[in-house]
Amino acid sequence: MSLVLEVSTGAVRGGTSILFAALGETISERAGVINLGTEGSMLCGALTGFAVAAETGNTWIGVGAAAIAGGLLAAMHGYLVIGRGANQLANGLVILFLGLGLTSLFGTSYVQAEVATLQPWNVPGLSRIPWIGEIFFQQDPLTYLSYFAVPIVWWLLFRSRWGLLIRGAGERLEVLTTYGHPAQRVQFLAVVAGGALAGLGGAQLSVAYTGAWFENMTQGRGFIAVAVVIFASRQPFRVAAGAYLFGAALALSPALQARGYGINQFALDAIPYAVTIVVLVVFGRRQAAEAPEGLKKVFETSAS
Amino acid sequence: MTAATLPPGGAAPAGSAASAPRFDTGRIAKGAGRWGVAIIGALVIFGAFMLAKGVNPFTAYGDMFSSTFSSSNSIGEILIKASPILLAALAVTVPARAGLVNVGGEGQLVIGGVAAAGVSLALGDGGASVGGMVLMMVAAAAAGAMLAGLAGVLRLWVGINEAVTTLLLNYLAVDIMLYLIFDSWKDPNGSGQPATRALPVAERLPLIGTSRVHTGLFIALGAMVLMYLALSRTTWGFRLGVVGGNPEAARRSGYRVGLMLLGALAVGGALAGLGGFVQLAGVEFKLRQGFLVGYGYIGFLASWLARHHPLQVGLGALALAAIAVGGDSLQIDSGLPAAGVNILMALVLLAVFGWTRVKKGVAA
Repeated sequence: MSLVLEVSTGAVRGGTSILFAALGETISERAGVINLGTEGSMLCGALTGFAVAAETGNTWIGVGAAAIAGGLLAAMHGYLVIGRGANQLANGLVILFLGLGLTSLFGTSYVQAEVATLQPWNVPGLSRIPWIGEIFFQQDPLTYLSYFAVPIVWWLLFRSRWGLLIRGAGERLEVLTTYGHPAQRVQFLAVVAGGALAGLGGAQLSVAYTGAWFENMTQGRGFIAVAVVIFASRQPFRVAAGAYLFGAALALSPALQARGYGINQFALDAIPYAVTIVVLVVFGRRQAAEAPEGLKKVFETSAS
Repeated sequence: MTAATLPPGGAAPAGSAASAPRFDTGRIAKGAGRWGVAIIGALVIFGAFMLAKGVNPFTAYGDMFSSTFSSSNSIGEILIKASPILLAALAVTVPARAGLVNVGGEGQLVIGGVAAAGVSLALGDGGASVGGMVLMMVAAAAAGAMLAGLAGVLRLWVGINEAVTTLLLNYLAVDIMLYLIFDSWKDPNGSGQPATRALPVAERLPLIGTSRVHTGLFIALGAMVLMYLALSRTTWGFRLGVVGGNPEAARRSGYRVGLMLLGALAVGGALAGLGGFVQLAGVEFKLRQGFLVGYGYIGFLASWLARHHPLQVGLGALALAAIAVGGDSLQIDSGLPAAGVNILMALVLLAVFGWTRVKKGVAA
């Protein structure tokens, strides 16, 4: 397999968990709530998906449970931030530690467990297209689900009534309240939906990508997802591109090492972060202007 | 509530409680009551989780308490952990006074450790001396200040929020460290996990008396007192508070707001960089994968826990370090994973964030 093909395939395979989490964070941030606890939701999803799949023997029930677990953890963030006025950045980090602690405490019994993993499945016809087929259509079912999730989230945010409410809540909470919409409930649901998607991302990691559970297995992917959302200025299709960029960077070093190039993995790992910062520098002012008003307020008053 | 409206700590004598409504005893009692409920609530919930794992929470808490506080060894362990956490927390406190959010304590700690190790490698084993150690400290502080300053420059010139850039720079700093220890800085004589060579003895922080605690504790405490005095007693500290409270008013008063913001971040970064040095020269002696993981984030939470008041930040760092040490007991005495103690830390913080703060008005 050529290097480009291997890295591209790996980018999709490894980027899917980041993509789910980043889509979730996109919804949350559009509603004006930044959730640094995304990593925690991913961990909860990864463990719950794996554990439920192991207990029930049905991996898809596990996937559903993963979304619920991710959503529940995000609900705590939503409640404290929206309902109790806690600082979003600080509270998000606490949520991350909560997820880390919960999954390490309850995950010990599942470290050796085995589940029926979601195997890659070749889409008839499409998978035989050269390059495209191998990269996109010989993947696991959750990856296929993510292909649908991207346009659905885009449609939801920019073409549906719900999206208008979500973005309205992110821009001007008061206006929504004035017109009689339950603005804070909309925000809360957006945060929970974001957590559920992060939970799905975690499940892709445990029941499809690695087929295992181990403590802190997301290894920063939730933070990467937050970075991707910033990189992509909260646009779902750009989020997908960003997630695959990070996925490619993660896939590049093992691929190069397998070919005997003595390249230092960590130089490659740093690339996506550097790219994100460069993108922010180049498009910084425009992106700052595009950010939801509610999010700007978070940063301005966050020292309180 | 902004940083500027915080009572200037210690400025009002304790006896003036009756005249100053801010020090209303009833309110303090109510506040203390809420804190008590928050902490007890967190202990009860975590106890329920332990029960669910088949561990008697009373025995587990008893073991945790006795093995965390009864032996001088574990009290030493708390102080050792608290030193870098306190420095990382102060790195959040100082910029917070100017209304800035520094999420980059982790990266600034790491880059400080990298700079210190770099100086040590450049000096070589023969050049190790007390003077060399001072040089390492300066380099660590400078590296931390530059990393945080970069975020400040990006905010001032390009308008990217510092919370975003400092978060991203954490990963760059960790990758830089890993790159170096897997590459040119790798100890050729080392076995197992790649790491830099151990610091020569002359470059290690001396221990305090006969204890296991190193003198980095004094560096952290010194920085805390210094920052307390700087923020509450100097013009600089006062101006930072004005910038944080109302940047427009500060600008109209002729303050150079941009420089002040940059300075606040740089001072914060320097403190965290110093924390990296303290961890390297006091505990680790070599850079390795897993050097410092998480201390920057715990420090961030310690500062928020204490609402960015320097002396209380010290207590916050101590409390979070104690919980972390309690995790080791959880593993040894109760057979639960040490990371499980993160639940207890998170619950305490959630309770404090959610129930002890004065609720903001909608306009805030």
